[in-house]
This record gives sequence, structure tokens and C-alpha cells, in this order.
Amino acid sequence: MNRRSLPLVTAAVLILASSLASPPSSAQWIGYPTAGVPRKPDGTVDMSAPTPRMPSGKPDFSGIWISENTPEGEETPSDGFNLSSGRQMANIGVELPDGKLPYQPWLVPIVAERTARLAMDDPHIRCLPDNFLRAYGLPHMLKFVHTQDLLVMLNEMNAGYRQVFTDARPLPEDPSPSWQGYSSAQWSGDTLVIDTIGVRDDTWIDWNGSVITEDAKVREEIQRPDFGHLEIRVTVDDPRAYTEPWTVTLTQRIVVDAELIDEICLENEQFVERMGLPH
Amino acid sequence: MKTPIRTALLTSIVGVLAAASPSHAHHSFPVQYDVSKPITLTGKVTKVEWTNPHIFIYIDVPDEQTGAVVNWALEMGGPNALLRLGWKRDSIKADDLVSVEGSLARDGSRLANATSIVMVATGQKMLAGSSGGAAAAEER
Repeated sequence: MNRRSLPLVTAAVLILASSLASPPSSAQWIGYPTAGVPRKPDGTVDMSAPTPRMPSGKPDFSGIWISENTPEGEETPSDGFNLSSGRQMANIGVELPDGKLPYQPWLVPIVAERTARLAMDDPHIRCLPDNFLRAYGLPHMLKFVHTQDLLVMLNEMNAGYRQVFTDARPLPEDPSPSWQGYSSAQWSGDTLVIDTIGVRDDTWIDWNGSVITEDAKVREEIQRPDFGHLEIRVTVDDPRAYTEPWTVTLTQRIVVDAELIDEICLENEQFVERMGLPH
Repeated sequence: MKTPIRTALLTSIVGVLAAASPSHAHHSFPVQYDVSKPITLTGKVTKVEWTNPHIFIYIDVPDEQTGAVVNWALEMGGPNALLRLGWKRDSIKADDLVSVEGSLARDGSRLANATSIVMVATGQKMLAGSSGGAAAAEER
């Protein structure tokens, strides 16, 4: 949400609240106040307040996060109502100089066909897990639980999880491919540098159908410059899929006064059958 | 296809609300629905599926020309989206009379993606967490 839309959204929330015969209750802790949120004198969240830190002094990434979708940065938190999709949700390379990823020739027609079919072949539609690169851009809340030796990323969608070990363990040799891969991290100053290997072949990373392969080495450099934002600088080195490494930044903003509610996609998925797609 | 009941533009309040609403897109909205084909359906609820990834309600709608009753499926946002919009899981029940605004399915079936719902008995209007999000509202 940008500054110009703030009054609109505020008005909308007020109108919605007054229009409902039964206002939101605390069921599922919707609206339950998040503890430790810095606020300005007027009561609004101070997004630029100092970075929370762990007892070790390193930044604490704990919190619920959602994609930020303005280049200049959003100055209000999400409250779980105004969930936003990332600018790179459809095309994760949209902000690269050419506006697209440096695909290897074999991948060009595949992505073109997937894009033309408006993501009909998307594993997400089949209720399969979203890789972490994808999850940073989708309008589903991510909850980071950050401890001294472990960063856990919980995904509301399909009640998914990802583990990032910060106990200096080496990456596994010859890992069995998985949806989130295997992640180990170390600090460089206030930046957490996460290295990941062992993702599955043909792992979608955007709506257009861009992928990473088993050969991918993914590095994330995560910073929390203030209370309200995470900056995740991602570098993908995957010579099977791309002609050169590429780097993008997938920014997140904080969500307050909200909580995860699991969304198990296969409960009643109807799109595949209604569209006549093969199971 | 029978002619459904159609009404005019959404109110400005709904427009504001819909523009600010979350876009929970489990699947590609434009593949399945056409925002250039808005529809308003009024009828009695026959079934509610309060399920992920999207809630469906089914309503019996009398055709305005023939009077024949047609059962429509209306897709909404998921439970977490609607709960955050202020819904309770029993906000709509079987036999409730509702008026639903949304976008028609492209395949011509009795299916639409709901953007807002009015409880006819009380006049209460609620957003439906449309996966079309602001685009569906802006089309109006």
C-alpha cells in the first residue's frame, strides 16, 4: 500500500467495520494485538523504529511478513486485511535490466507457453507447495520464528514450513531434492547470509513459470533495516536454467495484529476439475 | 443460457471496499472468470462450503423470464480471507436470501466469482474476498 492509498484503505476499513452487524471477534486471534510493536504518538505503527535484536545483538527477524509491493517502500504495516502480492509475483525478474531472467534457450519456450496459458499448469494450482522464492511474492502470510541457531519460516498456505539452520552446519552432500531445499546460514555483520541447495527440478519461482533446478545454488542476504521491513537480496546461480547468475531483491513488510490461519488447499480444490484439466 | 438477473453498478462504498480488499488468488482469476461480465444474482442459499482454498455457496435463482429455478455456484475467498474481512463461519446459512455481485465464469456454466454479498433480510453488505481483487471492482 502506498501513501496515496492510505486514506482510501482507512476509510474502507472504517466503513466495513460499521457496516457489519457482527464485528470481528477474537476468533483465531484476528485483531489480537501483536506484542512489542513500536508506535508513534498518534498510535500508528512506527515502521522505521529500530531493528529488533536478539540477545546476541544480531537482528531478530521474528514476525509475520507479507510482500511489499511499492518500490519506494510501504510505510504502514499489513493488518492481515490488506495483504499484498509482490511486484515480482508474476515475473520474478521484472526489475532486472531486461525485465526478465536470463533463461537458457531450452527454458525460453517453456516459460513462454506457461505464461500464455495464464499459469494453468502451475503446481500452486494443484495445491503443491510454494518454494520460498515464490512464497516471498504471494499474498500469503509468512511467519518467521528466529532463535539463536534456527530460523523457521512458517507459511500459511498449506501450513508449510522451511528451516534455515544458523548453527554453522555444512550443507548436505548429494541431498535428496526437496521443495524448500536445504539451508544453512551465517552472519555477515547484520546480514544473515543463507545458502540453499537441493531443490527439486522444475521448481516454479513465479506465476510465469520460471524455474530453478536441482543444480541451483540460492543465496539470500537478509537484512531488517528497521522494525517494519525485511530486505531479501536473492542471488540464483543455476547454470542449467540460466545463462548467468542473477540477483533480485524481494522486500517484505511487517504484519501486525494478525495471526496465521492455515489454508489447506486440497480441502475443496475445484479449479482443476471445473477447467477440465487432467488430474 | 438463461438470462440472469442483472443490476446496475456497485455502490461507491463497495467500490472503495473492494479496491482495498485482499486478492487471494489460489488460481488464475482471468482464466476462469471474465470481469467484463458482471452479474448480480438474488436467491436462496441451498448449500455453503466453508472450505479451502475457496469458499463456495450455492443459491437457487429464479429465471426472470421463465421463472424456472437455476442453482448457481458462487466462488469466494478462502476462510482466512473472509474471517479477516469480518465474517463468521455461520454468517451465511442455508435458506438465507442473498444478493450476490460478481463476475461470470467464461465457460458459460452457472458459476460466478463473488465480490460482495448483501443479506436481503437485513441489508448487510459484506465483501466476498474475490480473487479478482481490485481488478474485478475497477471493471465496474
